Amino acid sequence: MSAKAISIHSSRGGTGKTVIATNLALILAKKGFNVALLDLDFRAPSLEMVFSEVIERPVKCWLNDFLNGECSPEQILIDVSEKYNLKGRLLIGLANPTMDAIRNIMEKSRSWEVTAVKKLFSLLDSLFTDMKIDCCIFDTSPGVQHSSINAIVSSDVSMIITTLDSLDLKGTENMLVDLFGALDKKPVILVNKFSPEARIKSSKISEKIISKLEKTLKHPVIGVIPCYCDVLQTERTTLLAIEKPNHPFIKDLEKVAAELGYT
Amino acid sequence: MCEAETPDIRIAGLLARITAELREVNEKLELLTSLNRKMLETQEKLLQKSSKEIKPPAEFKLAPDVLALLSLPTSLRKTVMVLYKLEKATAEDIAKETKRLRAVESASANQLVRLGYLKKKREGRDVYFYIEPQLEAIE
Repeated sequence: MSAKAISIHSSRGGTGKTVIATNLALILAKKGFNVALLDLDFRAPSLEMVFSEVIERPVKCWLNDFLNGECSPEQILIDVSEKYNLKGRLLIGLANPTMDAIRNIMEKSRSWEVTAVKKLFSLLDSLFTDMKIDCCIFDTSPGVQHSSINAIVSSDVSMIITTLDSLDLKGTENMLVDLFGALDKKPVILVNKFSPEARIKSSKISEKIISKLEKTLKHPVIGVIPCYCDVLQTERTTLLAIEKPNHPFIKDLEKVAAELGYT
Repeated sequence: MCEAETPDIRIAGLLARITAELREVNEKLELLTSLNRKMLETQEKLLQKSSKEIKPPAEFKLAPDVLALLSLPTSLRKTVMVLYKLEKATAEDIAKETKRLRAVESASANQLVRLGYLKKKREGRDVYFYIEPQLEAIE
């Protein structure tokens, strides 16, 4: 199969993008795929904290530095495959979470953003051609922001995470038309944090939701993941795909990976 | 009494008149051709002058960032998106990526140049379009 860049996006915050991006990356690497997971949420970076137990301090190069043209792709990528005993490689690229770095990114000009999107394309080229990566996952900022749209433009597949909250759904609907439609991108939708009852009659309820949403949003819905209280209560540093590989949330994400073509 | 014209003389007179009229038509056609040539030359000069006038000044440029993309027509948007990926590209290179006709890409890219989003340069027989690396964007 050909290598893909997948951007994980949502119209609003709190939909579970980072948890999904992280565990999806781990699931693929456990299967033997070579994966890169990049934190493109420069305004609220979180992967640095998620992987805090395995990364060496101080972090030498951040994704911010790469986009500024201050370091090479090899310098920003941290290989965590051995730490988790993964079959494939998992390389992570972190966004700088310091206040200075966040302020700096917020002050960037539109011309810098043009350079940034071009750097992103060149990074993907290095990942796929030189480093033999099978899948690059972008964890993005919610809503319409430069870094997120840069990720959407440079990715092959965009996965929008939505809950069934009416504001979230309306935001998703607007984004599908005004953003993805304008960019001629055809995203897939993943419903997360659906009512816990869905777990009991899982397949039938999911099918109904999928069919209804596909009619409304006019885009494929690749899964419905119920709300698991224990997932919400888990520490961010707990990586379910590693620590609880049989958890239903991980099983649901394995189905999503298959839908994306990674079997 | 006037001597009656023989058929040969009549035909000869007719041919002479036809020849004279054809010569006249020919002269008029030559005049028209020359006028037409002059009109075309004037038109071309005017076009060159007006294209120079509408051409943005050298320092005029805009950053074709992703938000600017959203305000562009789809046809132009696709061309810019290809140039994010390729450092510089001919209309043919762009057409290969967008799967559209070379002529369509050439028109789009030239329009983006006129709008100030792209630059173009000639290298031998090829014309390359590119996003200027160090843009001083008009925010």
